[in-house]
Amino acid sequence: MSNNDTQRTVTVRIQRFNPDVDKKPHMQDYQVKMWPGMTILDALHEIKTHQDGSVTYRRSCRHGICGSCAMHINGRNTLACKTPIINEVKKNNTVTIGPLPYLPVIKDMVVDRTSFWEQYLRVKPWLIPPDDIPEREFRMSQEEVDALHDAEACIMCGACYSSCAVIGLNKKYLGPHALLKAFLRVLDPRDTAPGERLEIVSQADGVARCHTIFNCIDACPKGLNPTQAIETLRKLAQKRQKYEEAKAERQKHLNEPIPS
Amino acid sequence: MYTSTGFISWLLRRISGLALVLYLFMHLWVIGAANSGVQVFNDRLNAVQTPLFKLFEVALLAAVVYHALDGIRLLLIHYFDLTEYRKSLFWAVIILSAIITIVGGGAILVIAFTGG
Amino acid sequence: MLTFKLQRWSAIALLVFLTIHMIFMHYVPPFHISFDVVQARLSTPTWKIIDILFLFSVLVHAMAGSYQVITDFESAFNYRKALAWASVIIVILAFVYGAKTIWAFQL
Repeated sequence: MSNNDTQRTVTVRIQRFNPDVDKKPHMQDYQVKMWPGMTILDALHEIKTHQDGSVTYRRSCRHGICGSCAMHINGRNTLACKTPIINEVKKNNTVTIGPLPYLPVIKDMVVDRTSFWEQYLRVKPWLIPPDDIPEREFRMSQEEVDALHDAEACIMCGACYSSCAVIGLNKKYLGPHALLKAFLRVLDPRDTAPGERLEIVSQADGVARCHTIFNCIDACPKGLNPTQAIETLRKLAQKRQKYEEAKAERQKHLNEPIPS
Repeated sequence: MYTSTGFISWLLRRISGLALVLYLFMHLWVIGAANSGVQVFNDRLNAVQTPLFKLFEVALLAAVVYHALDGIRLLLIHYFDLTEYRKSLFWAVIILSAIITIVGGGAILVIAFTGG
Repeated sequence: MLTFKLQRWSAIALLVFLTIHMIFMHYVPPFHISFDVVQARLSTPTWKIIDILFLFSVLVHAMAGSYQVITDFESAFNYRKALAWASVIIVILAFVYGAKTIWAFQL
């Protein structure tokens, strides 16, 4: 890539919606001069600071860990802060940015995430630890850690939730984010309520509502796999009792060192 | 709208599924003519075995084959944890469906137009 | 979860039954179906059992699938109990009608 190429000007096409004046969203183009290593979020900053202060979006850490700046960029959900703009420039020298789909738009790129958090709370996303807490640390084997598939890395950005076609039709569905969290807690050896969680996810609006569309995997900026988590929950939900017993047995030995 | 291979497979699955449900009830009604006697049954079945209906049958075969292979794909993904191969599995289903439909549909048409 | 299980098990059953059905109906002579042809086939108890099981699994699969498609819409999701009962009734009625048809070939 030549120096000229990285410093060229690109068109950033942004979906604008101001509830006070607009009836429906419209697209607006901005010209942005790229610099080497510029991200989509940098481009938005550039526009907001120097061209149009009314462009509205959420952002916080710009390190890909707060989950605020998830947006719909060139037809994909991803984090604006970790997407280099050079990778997203299409042949017509344009990047298209819009709010997360399937959610009510408040203004420009800001969406109403109420349903997202409501569904999240339904699976009791917190850890319910055993009464008998060890003096030092809980012990987990490497296999138990591997089985979680890094699900704890979820940053709650909503990219998976708003890519899900089922969410587009039915906001009563738990959603990939909540099911991924349920998966994390169900497989966590310390958690004492796996049966209760499996009961919640096996309801009509739980794992059975997933139609294996895989958009959540493609959308996740952390490379997590909610579909696999849902498939695992489906299997466990069908043998809930057995799984609960195995887990209770495991918790008797939580304080002990892992046999190597 | 968020398009992807998974979304397309889901859409095709639903459309073919609903079409097959409609077909199923029509099929039950056609065969149900047997309740009214041999003559009624033979008349109704002759009506649906004309060359025009053979063409519909090829479309029906396409729907059945796609729906079945897509189902096999979902079963494989569920039982063997193959989410990583989602895109190649999708294209495999599309290509296999096309092949089976062309071969199977061709056979139906050959039988229909040469009289078996 | 019950719908999901019904859907999955009937799907596996259908993979077997539908393959048999398609091959014997369309690719094995005689190609022109008439009353006598079906009667000859259904005179064996094995075929009768296969067709009854096939009928049942296809109806379960069709109605469980329709139920899932319809309840994916939030407005219909709120009436899912009524829709589930409607599906069950349709399965029963269609099964009785279909079984009666299979029986009609006894004549």
